Amino acid sequence: MSEPDIGHAGSSHFDEMTGLLYLEQQLDDMHSKIVAEHSAGCPACRELLRVLKNETVWLRDAIVADDESIPARLVGAPVRTMAPWGWLATLGFGAAGAYTLWSGVIQPWVTQASNIGITQGNLMTMLFFSGAFWNGWSDVGTAVKFLAMITLGVVAAWALRRYFRRQAGTAAVMGMLGLAILAPVPAHAAETVHGNPSYTLPQGQEIKTDLFVAGDHVLIDGTVDGDLVVWAHEVEVNGQVRGDIIAFTQELRMNGTVGGNVRAFAESMVLSGPVGRNVMGFVRSVEVDEKSTIGGSATLFSRDVQLNGPIKGDLLAMAGTMEVDGTIGGNVKVRGEDMRIGSTAQVGGRTQFEGPKQPEIAAGARLASPVEMIMRKATPTYSTWTYYWHQILRWGAAFLLGLVLFLLAPAIFLDASNAANKVGLAMGIGLLFLVGIPVAVIIACVTIVGLGVGITTFLIYLVAVYMSQVFVGEWLGEKLLGVGVGIGPVLARLALGLAILRVIRVIPFLGPLSMWVVIVWGLGAYVLTLHKRMRHQVATASA
Amino acid sequence: MERRKTAGEMNSTELAELLSRVRAGDSDAWGELYRGYAPAIFRFCRRALPSREDAEDATNEVFMKVRQKLGTYDSSRPFTAWLYKVASNHCWDMLRRRRIRQDLETGDVETLPLEHPDPGQLERLQEEHTSKEVRAGLDKLPDRARMALVLRYFGDMSYDEIAETLGVRRAFVGVLLLRARHQLREILQGGAESAREATAGGKL
Repeated sequence: MSEPDIGHAGSSHFDEMTGLLYLEQQLDDMHSKIVAEHSAGCPACRELLRVLKNETVWLRDAIVADDESIPARLVGAPVRTMAPWGWLATLGFGAAGAYTLWSGVIQPWVTQASNIGITQGNLMTMLFFSGAFWNGWSDVGTAVKFLAMITLGVVAAWALRRYFRRQAGTAAVMGMLGLAILAPVPAHAAETVHGNPSYTLPQGQEIKTDLFVAGDHVLIDGTVDGDLVVWAHEVEVNGQVRGDIIAFTQELRMNGTVGGNVRAFAESMVLSGPVGRNVMGFVRSVEVDEKSTIGGSATLFSRDVQLNGPIKGDLLAMAGTMEVDGTIGGNVKVRGEDMRIGSTAQVGGRTQFEGPKQPEIAAGARLASPVEMIMRKATPTYSTWTYYWHQILRWGAAFLLGLVLFLLAPAIFLDASNAANKVGLAMGIGLLFLVGIPVAVIIACVTIVGLGVGITTFLIYLVAVYMSQVFVGEWLGEKLLGVGVGIGPVLARLALGLAILRVIRVIPFLGPLSMWVVIVWGLGAYVLTLHKRMRHQVATASA
Repeated sequence: MERRKTAGEMNSTELAELLSRVRAGDSDAWGELYRGYAPAIFRFCRRALPSREDAEDATNEVFMKVRQKLGTYDSSRPFTAWLYKVASNHCWDMLRRRRIRQDLETGDVETLPLEHPDPGQLERLQEEHTSKEVRAGLDKLPDRARMALVLRYFGDMSYDEIAETLGVRRAFVGVLLLRARHQLREILQGGAESAREATAGGKL
């Protein structure tokens, strides 16, 4: 028998490596022949081959064993769609259900609690919106709570995704909530009307409850005892609404009387009648004429605002052009491009304007105090070296944060940048959390958990928002430099990605837009990563 | 009534026809293909990746890739092999992104014991451990070692394919496999010894 020239030097037997390669038919013919001949005459090597062969079978059996059924989530074939109906349905049903929950359960409960003196509203106002000026936000607060419930509904749906993996399941669950809107709520019923295509509540008729109406042209000449919630092309109110008006419309004309608040999401809004409480509008063009009176405060996000009628409370506005000719009992705080205070205007409190130029104040205007001007710089000073130095510093700060994060939690860092690959999902989730968390924090501060949790959450949220650029930067770097392994490539990717983001950031118009995209995207990637890890931990704990 | 064949049971002609329908955008055909192969790909991903959650995500993503890349599939090669190739590339890519220090997993050749292992001990190990314990041990292996075993014994990949997937020289694949076996033996032996010690100490 010839001694094999393969294997362990100084031994008459071949080694384990050679045995394995022989069994796996990876040796060339000559070496295979040598091993075969040797093992035929060598019991020890024959025994080695036998146990290695058994080990292969043992390993293969263990590895290919069908011990786990396919998860329910994977039952259906994945399909990439631009607008998953399940999530849209979830959002819609969630919103409807949340509103019902809010108006039918939470709000009456809060009212009852408030009646017996249990409320944290004042504390929140003091902490977040201190000063009499911000009293106007108490109105915003209600709308914020409403939005919060919608957001929380969607967040809850997302969190429950683990249990309802398929979108249809989630939609169905949220749909159950949505159906609640059809159920009669004691002492809080509502009438729902669909215009054909328009709807008119004639003069002399009265709706004793809330009125939900959708139509092309909605005309309210009669009386609505509760709230009026309307989706329409045009809305005209000549009668009386004793509750609030919530309008989603192109044009809102309010010539009648509103006992509560007006909240409008519209192209234009003209108020020609009295409003008992506050006005809040996301409206392109707002006109409050002389016949109108706003009993509370006005909070406006608009391009053009003309105020001729009196506002008893404060005015808070972000507006392109603001013209004030009426009386404002409280403070005025305006941020915009252009402000004119007419000769018939009166302001009982402080007047503050933030913009690129001084407001025009007519001679006859009566202001309780001089206008406090905050001059806003129109564009960054590209010609100064300090501007670029600051950009470098900002890049350095972001890189440092990324470095620390990578060293402390490399798995989260890399998983989050990997999750940024799911662009659509990450941005959707990011947007949800970007909006939802502040709202949830306010709710936590006011009603549910408490101030400490709320503020802590908010601080973490701010850090996460800042960190978002790190994940997107790493993702961008990877796209350009490839997937290198090791600390060096990771940091190189991060540095390059952040540098590119910083360069984009300084481009006029594109820069601010890119900042929001990066925040939404990176935040979503981070949330996806945390969710995945939490899911894994829960699964591990329950196993 | 004759039971309809699943994609996994189809002969090459039937499979080719199914793939043509998928390429043409037939969603039913895509569903059929998915149902036929998703369980196997999920199991493959489950073995290759450290957690079930990762395997679920990976399975979904692998099939999204399959749908995108189906045009590049060479029908002269077995479809299953191509599918496993896509899956293995994806899984390895996932693991690579997470891995930070490659140098911890190199230098294997010098540390490999070259003597014959004790056949008796190896047989005892095989007798004492169930498939479930082997799979649990597999989860504890370093990524590359686990991946090598899975590619070889689940994916039935050649050494060339393993080398290409893992980005190593072909000559290194055997070393990787043997090293993985050694590490698995050590993990299982460690568990068995702990159990024996615990029993001896009256802990169980």
